[in-house]
This record gives sequence, C-alpha cells and structure tokens, in this order.
Amino acid sequence: MRLRPRRIKLATRDFGFGSALATLGFIGWMVAGCAGPAKPPAAAIEPIRVSKALGLGDPARQASTRLVVQGLDADEAGQIQRARGSYERALQVDPTNPYAYLALARHALDVGEPNDAIDFIEQAAALFEAEGLRQPEVGVHLIGLRAQAFEVAGRTEESELYFETAAEMAPHIWQDGSLSATELR
Amino acid sequence: MKKKKAAVRRKGARAAGTRTRKKGAARAAKKGASRGSRKAQPRRRGRRLGVILSLVLILGAFCGGLALSRWVLELDDIVVARFEGRTFSLPSRVFSAPLVLYPGADWQRLGLADWLLRLGYREQPEGGRLGPGRYEWLPGALRVHLRSFDHPARSEPARELLFRFAEGQVIEIEDLRDPQAVDVVILEPEPVSAFLGTDREQRDLVRVDEVPPHLIDAIFAVEDQRFAAHHGVDGRRVLGAVLANLQAGRIRQGASTLTQQLVKNFFLTPERTFSRKLREAVMALIVEARYSKSEILEAYLNEIYLGQRGATAVHGVGEASRLYFGKSAQSLTVAEAALLAAIIQSPNGISPHRRPERAVTRRDLVLGLMRDQGRISNRAHREALAEPLRLATIQTESGEVRYFLDALSQQLPEVYAGEVLTSEGLRIYTTLDPRMQRAAARALRRGLERIEASVPETKAKDSVPANRLQGCLIAMRPQTGEVLALVGGRDYGESQFNRCTQARRQVGSAFKPFVYVAALDPANGPVVTLASLIPDEPFEVTVPGEEGFWRPENYDRSFRGPVSVREALERSLNVPAARLGQRVGMERVVELAHRLGISSPLIPVPSLALGTAEISPLELTRAYATLANGGRRPAPRMFVDVVEKNGIAQESQPLEAAVPVLDPATAYLAVSLLEGVVDRGTARRIRSAGLKGPIAAKTGTTDDEYDLWFVGFTPELVAVVWVGFDEPGPVGMPSSRGALPIWAEFVGEVSGSQIRGRFPQPGGISRLEIDPKSGARALRGCSSRKTEIFLQGTEPLETCPPSPAKDGSKGGFRRTLRRLFGRE
Repeated sequence: MRLRPRRIKLATRDFGFGSALATLGFIGWMVAGCAGPAKPPAAAIEPIRVSKALGLGDPARQASTRLVVQGLDADEAGQIQRARGSYERALQVDPTNPYAYLALARHALDVGEPNDAIDFIEQAAALFEAEGLRQPEVGVHLIGLRAQAFEVAGRTEESELYFETAAEMAPHIWQDGSLSATELR
Repeated sequence: MKKKKAAVRRKGARAAGTRTRKKGAARAAKKGASRGSRKAQPRRRGRRLGVILSLVLILGAFCGGLALSRWVLELDDIVVARFEGRTFSLPSRVFSAPLVLYPGADWQRLGLADWLLRLGYREQPEGGRLGPGRYEWLPGALRVHLRSFDHPARSEPARELLFRFAEGQVIEIEDLRDPQAVDVVILEPEPVSAFLGTDREQRDLVRVDEVPPHLIDAIFAVEDQRFAAHHGVDGRRVLGAVLANLQAGRIRQGASTLTQQLVKNFFLTPERTFSRKLREAVMALIVEARYSKSEILEAYLNEIYLGQRGATAVHGVGEASRLYFGKSAQSLTVAEAALLAAIIQSPNGISPHRRPERAVTRRDLVLGLMRDQGRISNRAHREALAEPLRLATIQTESGEVRYFLDALSQQLPEVYAGEVLTSEGLRIYTTLDPRMQRAAARALRRGLERIEASVPETKAKDSVPANRLQGCLIAMRPQTGEVLALVGGRDYGESQFNRCTQARRQVGSAFKPFVYVAALDPANGPVVTLASLIPDEPFEVTVPGEEGFWRPENYDRSFRGPVSVREALERSLNVPAARLGQRVGMERVVELAHRLGISSPLIPVPSLALGTAEISPLELTRAYATLANGGRRPAPRMFVDVVEKNGIAQESQPLEAAVPVLDPATAYLAVSLLEGVVDRGTARRIRSAGLKGPIAAKTGTTDDEYDLWFVGFTPELVAVVWVGFDEPGPVGMPSSRGALPIWAEFVGEVSGSQIRGRFPQPGGISRLEIDPKSGARALRGCSSRKTEIFLQGTEPLETCPPSPAKDGSKGGFRRTLRRLFGRE
C-alpha cells in the first residue's frame, strides 16, 4: 500500500519561462543520457531496483545500500520514522550513495515535502552521473519522481510533461503516477 | 417584767457572749492573720498562683498548640509541594548518533572496544551464556549480547552477535540466536552528556514496579526492616538505638527509617542537631500520613544519593545501576542489588570503584541480613556471595563536549531554553560522533601544546584564558550538514567562550577560494578558467572613501609575473587574488560567499579578496561544505530528535536536502583547485603527514600571524581548524605549521591514512592538454603540457605552438559566438 502525503508544503519558488526550459532541458538531458545521442528507447525498460545494487561497491557502500533497502521495507510497512532512521544511517555510512538520495526523495514525497524531494532527486542524479550510472533505468525514476514532486507542489504542467515521459519509459511502474517503496526496492 | 428584762439580759448576755466569742475568734483570726504571713496567706497565694499558672499553662499550651499546628502545617505544605509538584528535577540527556558496523568496517578505528566500555558493557571472560550487556573477546572475534534500545527513528532489539575480525576489519557478523549472517548492525547511541541544573544531580527515574524485588529487599534488610509496619518513625528502633548508644557512650547506631532518610534528603540539611532531627521525625510522620508506602518507596529509590560520576552527583538506584554496573536497575542481580544497598550508608566511603574490598565486605553483610531475615534462600545467598565484583568503567564526561552542548542549546527551538533543559528529563538525540569529538579535542590540545613548545612566547605566563593560546575544531558531513564534532576551545572549564560559533575572526587566505569561484562561475562570465594567466605584478587600487591607494603584496613580498589561476591559488598568492577580485567585482564575490553559506556581513572592499572579513568557523565550514557537496549548501544540523521522559517524541529535525546554490561543474573546479593546494601548494604538508586519497584544503594566515586557519575536506568530511588568541596577538608561525598539523592528526585518526571515495565529477567538465606557460591548448610540438579541466565551452582557443591560420578562421568564429553568448 502506498502512503499518502501527510503534510503538503507548497513550493514557494517562482517558476517561469526559465523553469519550463529547465524542465525540458532536464528531460532532454535524461533521455539523451538514457538512450544515447539519438532518440528515446522504443521498448519499455526495467527501472533500477535498489536491491540489485546490494552487492556493489566497497563494504561501506554495500552496508549503506542494505540500510536503504531496510528503509524501503519500513516505508512499505508504514513505519515512517524507522524508514527515516534507516536512510540517515545509510548516509552516515556512505554519504555519496545515490540510492539513499533516491529513496529519500521518494520518502520526502510520502511525507509531503516536495521541495526536499526535488533537491534529493538532483543530488541523486549528480551522484548517479558521477558514478557513470546515467542510464535510462536510473533516469526513469528521476523523471518520474520529479513529476510526482511537481504534482505535489502544484506545478501541474511540468508534472504532466515528466509523467508522460516516465510512463512511456516504464509504464508498468509509472502508469499510476507514483513509485512505491516496493517498486524501488 | 423583771423576768423579761432578765431574759433580755440573758439573751443579751448570750448575744454578748457570742459577740465576745466572735470577737475572740476575730481576734484569734487577727492573731492568726498576723501569724498568717507564714500559714494561711501562702495557701491562698499558692492557689492564686496555681490558677494563674494554670491559665498561663493553658494559654501557653494554646499558643504552643497554635504555633505547633502552624509549624506542622508549614511542614505539611513543604511536603505536599515537593511531593505533588514536580518531584524530581531531571536533567535532559544528550545522545550521540548511533554507531554502524558492517562487514568490511575498520572496527578498531570505529572504536568498538571503546564503545563497549562507554555503554557500560561488561566483559565476561569465563564464557558461558551471555546476558544482555555482556561480551567476551575470543581469538579473532567478539561475542556480545547487545541490549535493546529505544530510538525515536529506529529502535533495535536485543541480539547476541558474533563479530569475526581479520586485519583490523570486521569480516563477518553472525546472529547467534538466529544463525545467519548479518549485513549491518546499528549500535546504541552513547549518552554523551546532560544539561545539568545548578545542583549537578543526575538520575534515571525508575518506577517501583520496575525494580527487582531483591533490590527492595536488600534495601529493607539493611536500612529499614520494619518499613511496612511503622508510621514514619520506628519507635522500637529508636529505643534500641538509644540503648545501644548509651552503652557505647557515643552515637553508634542510627534509627532513621527510609521515610526519615527521604525527608532528610528531600527537605533538610545534613547537620546533626536535635531540632533538625525533630523536624525530620515530624515530616516523616506527615509523609506517611499523606502518601502510600509504595509512593514513599519510589521517591526513596529515585532520591537516595549513591555516589559521584566526576563532578556530577548520582542519585537514585536507576542512575547508580548505570554508574556501577552499566545496566538498568531492572536487570540487577541479587549480588549487585546487595552492593547498591550496601553503599547507601556511605557512597563515597564504600565506593566499589575506589574501595572494592570494603564494598564487597559490606555487600556480604547485606546478603547475610537478607538471608537471616528470610528475604533470600540459602542457595541464593551462596550464589550471590560467589559472584565476583564486576564493575562498569566510569565514563566521566570530557569537558570539551560542553562546547557542543552550548551550540546545541542555541540550535534547539526556544521552548527548550533554560530550566526546561535542566529539569524536564528530555532525551536529545544529536548528530555528534563521539569518536570524532574525542579525536578533535585530542588533536586540538596536542596541536596547541606543540605550538607553545615551538614558540615559547605563545605560552601564557598566567592562567587568564584571554592570554592562553586558543583554538577551535569543527567537523561536518558536507552532504547533510550534520555537525560531527565541535571543540570550541582548549578547556571548557577555563573558558566557555565557543570559538567555533561565537568568535568572528579574520579568515585570511581561507577566503580566497570564494574569489576564484566567483571568477569561475558561469553566472559571472566566467571571468577566467583554471588555465588563465593572471599577472603577479605590482598594482594598486583606490579604496572608496579612503585616500591613497591599496597596494597588495605577496606573503614573501616578491612577484612572479604571469601565473595561472591554479598556481595562484595553490601558492596562495595575494596579488593575483586581489586582481581577480577586481576583475570579477567584489560585490559578486560577496554575493557568492553569502550564497555558499557565509552569513556574517561582508564589505565589498578590495582587501576582502585577501580575507579581511571576520567570519565564524561554523560559517566557513558550511561554505566549504557547499563546495565539497557539488554546489549544494547544507543546513548545519546538530539535533535529530527530542523525546520527552515518557518516550513521546516532541521535536524532530528531519534531514533536509542541501540546496543547490552553485553550478556543480564550477564547484568541481573549486574542488580540483583545492586538491592542488594539497598536492602541490601551501597545504602539501598534509601529504607528508601520510594522508592519501582525495583531500582538498586551503590554508589561511592573517597579518602578523594573528589567526591561523586550516579548512579541508574529503568526499565525506569537512573540517575547519582555527588557532589564535582571544585578544589578538601573534602566534609566531603560519597556518601550514600551526593549524594544518591539527587538521591532519584529526582526519588521520577518524578517516585513516587512506581517505575513502573520490570527489564526484559532474557533467559539463572537459579535460584538455594545455601549455602551462601560456594556458593555450597544447598541440603536437608544444614543449610543455599538462592536463587541465574546464567547464565545457570555456576551453582555450589559442594553441601551442600558435597556429595563426587555424586560429584565425576557427577561433575567430568561435570567439564571435562566445561574444554573442556573453562568454567574453
């Protein structure tokens, strides 16, 4: 079961023409990065799952990713505080773990903090990219979560644009407009 | 007629006779009265006196009764106020962040052995079944029964684990109850300190139904056998004590009941006078009349003084159990319970830590009483006698943690000000890493001592704090803003001024990176690339509002001619920095510094480029954390949760995402520049100190060496060191010799000599071979070359060797484009 946001803080940022350009740019960047230089993927992709990354990286990264998985389990069970504690411990062990920021972005949407979610998404995107993980499997969640964050923040137009892209890339995950902890796990 | 007259005469005569007798009696009475001064008069006076005395007595008794009643009522008021108001003033406890262990972790560097001691875990060398809070070292392994713990974000159950080690690392963790490998273990946060009131009392409240019966039995056995039967004062015991004391000719035996002891501790001073004893007895009677035995016993269990932890008085069996046995009162054994009861008489005189033999002797006495009174069986008695004394190590608080606490109290919401912190018994979970805090305090202390040894003029001639060389060290996780360690001075007891958060000092060259970042920022042009050349030549600039010119000079007062941006920062040259400041504009530099996290006011004067601004170490830490975190500015965070004494979470400060304030690629250029400072520049002593891996840093030394700064970061940690005098004076050495070694010692201890990870490179960065002399793109045939990084689109157009034809056509077009898009 997905948790609905408890508190919703509306974004207070000013979104104008620049923001729309940035949105298009971000999608373009993600799609280009995901699918290569020419065009977006034709077939649906299987987005990343954190549990697939469990054995990757050095011991600190592995432990950190394990804690992210535990956090997702807690989120799925509705244990918001425990999930938060797990993500924070994950960052304590490895503060450069992009999966932790991805899970935190998802968690921030659960608790109604879209602005935090957007910043976590950006941090995750930067870290994934720095690790050479700029693939459509990663990108689809970054796009979809952005869509969700914009939706919660009331930025409907941008949200729809992102949702469309995410749903096109991974309809079985993003068709319903949200990413559950289980789907990310 | 004659007869009548005769009868009248007789009658008269009788009457006369009567009168005569009466007269005689009156005379006699008169005579008696004259003798009465000795007989009848005293009787009458005595009666009168008796009446008066009776009246006085009645009046006295009435007044006395009134006074007594008033006194008793006053005492009653005191008793009620104390019992029914907030009975105990509970200091708020401060906890560290939890410790996380996993296969591959360096368990020694993470301080697992220390953690066991600090949490009061006790070694069980003889093996066997481990109870919670016990551990056993095995060859290459540790078996430990972790206690469960509550944490507002993530509580953990008790588990018995086996850690296997090899080459300083955990190689495997096994759950012994549920045989399976464990990937990650979260260990209980350390209690690092408490917000104590002026009485400096510490206690851990227990409920009477939580306390094991044998602890209560032990206390009854030795302190008050007839607690259940008496009404506050035990007459039988008083009589026995009087007789014993009379026989001995001195006071040998007391007769205080638990209620009297409680009253004495609660309300009275410890002097031994009759009036105090009387008050104590009356108050004990009042307490017994008003409250149940259970309430009285619970108050006693939480109030009784049971020893010292450093300068802090330990009250109550809950806190005493942690002090002596490192566990909660609920899990005390019979022998441990008897020991606690034994030391009530004289907690310091029979201290188990200082006088274990005396403590054990008295413990055995208590055990004997328990058996004799039928409170324990013979077998339990034998087993308890055989139990060796196993004490937890006393963990006194290190004074330097108080600096963190002071800063924490500033960060907590206002509702937690003052008395709330010292009396409400809150549990405050923080971001503090106790291992880092200790390492920071140690590195700072040693570093300051080294400076004093090497520059004797810096050693204070007196104990005035302002005259002593001071320092500060603060460490933060750049991605999250969590403050991991904060030491605001060399001795909190001597000076509570927090130099990390309260002091604002000139930052010197530690400010220069902001000038360079402003010049590299695409939002400002960019003005330069890392390969651009800046003239290191004399120049002067007018200062608004001042006469004459400002002529910056380098540290060594020499000029080098054209130098690259990279070299200028690596060598911390003043003149190129000042020139760059002028080129980019000091307003832009100020704007950028504020964006990165500097909150102090900055005046955009030319000399600001050389760090004439006064900034606190905490601000500087945050600004550098923004660079380390790819241009995302974290919010400093010191507390995570505040929990009431009943366990209800009151306040949380969830992790906030860092806010993007600088283009990640520009931040990466800054990181690369600062890595160069460590590899080739003014901070290269970091490498000679043995630290390898990704480190970026900047030195800062102000005029006349008044302030020494060292700011450095790794991918996971940013730390700032400041050294100087509170009343500014020369330290007598540059930062690279004074502050840098402190930083290196700290980071080496907490991160190891091989720093983990790397600085993530964002998109938008290109690498290019250039000619370092000209900054031009190096082509085949260029005599010297090196790789430099650029923001994509800012690569040099010139080539080495020059290629006029190519440049003329291609470069010209590109240059035109760049002009169009404002790049030039």
